[in-house]
Amino acid sequence: MRHFTKLARPYIIWAVAIIIIPLLLIVLYSVTTGGNDLVNIQFTLDNFKKIAEPIYLSVFTKSFRLGVITVVICLLLGYTLAYIISKFSEKAQNILILLVTIPMWINTLLRTYAWISLLSDNGIINTMLNKLGFDSVPMMYTDFAVIIGLVSDLLPFMVIPIHTSLCKIDNSLIEAAMDLGADRFHTFWKVTFKLSIPGVLNGIIMTFLLSISTFVIPKLLGGGQYMLIGNLIENQFISVGDWNFGSAISLLLAAVILIAISLMKRADREDTEEE
Amino acid sequence: MKKFTCVLMCAVLMLSVLSGCGSGGSDRTLKVYSWGEYLDMDLLDEFEEMYDCEVIYETYDSNETMYTKLQSGEEYDILVPSDYMIERLIKEDYLQEVDWSLLTNADGLSEEVLDMPFDPGNQYSVPFFCGTVGIVYDSTVVDEADFDAGWEILRNTKYAGNIYMYDSERDSFMIALKALGYSMNTTDRAEIDEAYEWLINQRDTMNPVYAGDDVIDNMISGNKAMAVVYSGDGAYIMSENENMRYFEPEETNEWQDAMVITKNCEDTELAHAYMNFMLDPDNAYANSLEVGYTTPVTEAYNKLKDGEYAGIDAYTPTMGNPNNEVFEYQDTETKQYFADLWTKVKAY
Repeated sequence: MRHFTKLARPYIIWAVAIIIIPLLLIVLYSVTTGGNDLVNIQFTLDNFKKIAEPIYLSVFTKSFRLGVITVVICLLLGYTLAYIISKFSEKAQNILILLVTIPMWINTLLRTYAWISLLSDNGIINTMLNKLGFDSVPMMYTDFAVIIGLVSDLLPFMVIPIHTSLCKIDNSLIEAAMDLGADRFHTFWKVTFKLSIPGVLNGIIMTFLLSISTFVIPKLLGGGQYMLIGNLIENQFISVGDWNFGSAISLLLAAVILIAISLMKRADREDTEEE
Repeated sequence: MKKFTCVLMCAVLMLSVLSGCGSGGSDRTLKVYSWGEYLDMDLLDEFEEMYDCEVIYETYDSNETMYTKLQSGEEYDILVPSDYMIERLIKEDYLQEVDWSLLTNADGLSEEVLDMPFDPGNQYSVPFFCGTVGIVYDSTVVDEADFDAGWEILRNTKYAGNIYMYDSERDSFMIALKALGYSMNTTDRAEIDEAYEWLINQRDTMNPVYAGDDVIDNMISGNKAMAVVYSGDGAYIMSENENMRYFEPEETNEWQDAMVITKNCEDTELAHAYMNFMLDPDNAYANSLEVGYTTPVTEAYNKLKDGEYAGIDAYTPTMGNPNNEVFEYQDTETKQYFADLWTKVKAY
């Protein structure tokens, strides 16, 4: 065994170089001012104070609102899809899950551009509406466009964990519930859904994390004025060049995400203990 | 001993990875960092063949993006920044001087674009494209009489929800400052605040979309009535959609993008060859035709003006209007002030 632990050593160097040092740098940037080259820095908490300005807080709330909406839609669609898939024969299930993941083989940017040509004012959908005699509906650069882009991008992350935990459910438990007189709804709610909760939580965590830190999809489908946390951070690093403030926001976002995950994990644990 | 070998192996591995990023190989390479949609890519192949070298071509969508990348330690040989950014790079000692004796095609450059205030005597920069900023509009939707208001048409609620602004801090503030009758290079906080209010008001009443390069495709398919564009993008849009017209306000940003050589550039001979290649009238013609921007090479300009771009006024922007200005360098404090306000405009 000693042999194998040695093999992990290069990884430790790697992990320090590309995970720990950058993280420490972000922490350092977030509590200092004095430019990006770190030559003469002063410690300060101004960067965090700046986040408390109403305008930046509103960016946070907007991102969370959008994240929650995306997660709820993904959950409703994803659960239904996973449930239907789990009813098929094993062979068919493999193919169906493959179909769910195939869009992920295509680059996100390309898929987002496809949405642009579908949704834009003179795009495919509006042209069809016009042909059928309806007025065009402006869809690009709205919440609708961003949410549809996010949902289509993140749905596989919801479907796969839920499907995995649905597959693991022992069918005899469902039969037992039926035998004991529960109707279909109660069987689903009390047995199937309860047992699939770990998958649901995993799906929620993944889609939520990805949706509140995204910046490409809102930028393309929502326009430059559609500012979410991801865009705000990108802006501070790329165009404004204020890495100190950008780091402070990133750090706060990371903290919020960690808290959210630990809350979910706790909910998960309590749930399993209950059984 | 084993441990030592392991560490050594790691070190060798790391070194080989690192050296891979450097020059590597005997071939000559040139790293060019330029604007997106700013070059006829066939020219690159031609250049590579001619000089038996490899050109690594990367693109950015704003001067600020380029500057940040440069600041983070990325190394390039040739950049194509705009006026004020060139001034900044000169001041911060990023550039090396151009040896004009190596640029045999330089005689073809128009006098008008040389010796600009951001780089007197063109010590560091070789003009690449120039033009103004204006509004491209759909003549089937916009009433031309409304343009009497100049920039203020962008606050005409008749077109609410129907305009694209340009997602760039300096250009957006330029519009607001010019609409208010101030200099776009002002450092007066009161004037800047007023411009900020202008932009916020526009945002609330007009609901504009702040677009980047995607504005080109959007205007070609006629998605909205009006868009703030650089003249070259305007020319390209007009050549693809005949309903589009170009309006040039009497006071606007007169800009120039120029090729510069960074301090890191080692193969300066190749870098000069690249710049000279771009100044060749035939190449300048092909490039300008492809991307739509106005070339400073007189011969190519005249050929395009009377040829492919005849009747497209965005290709022949009015340079030298007394109310026009060229962007100037901003000190860090002013830049930061603008950047904060711009973030707020977008996040409002």
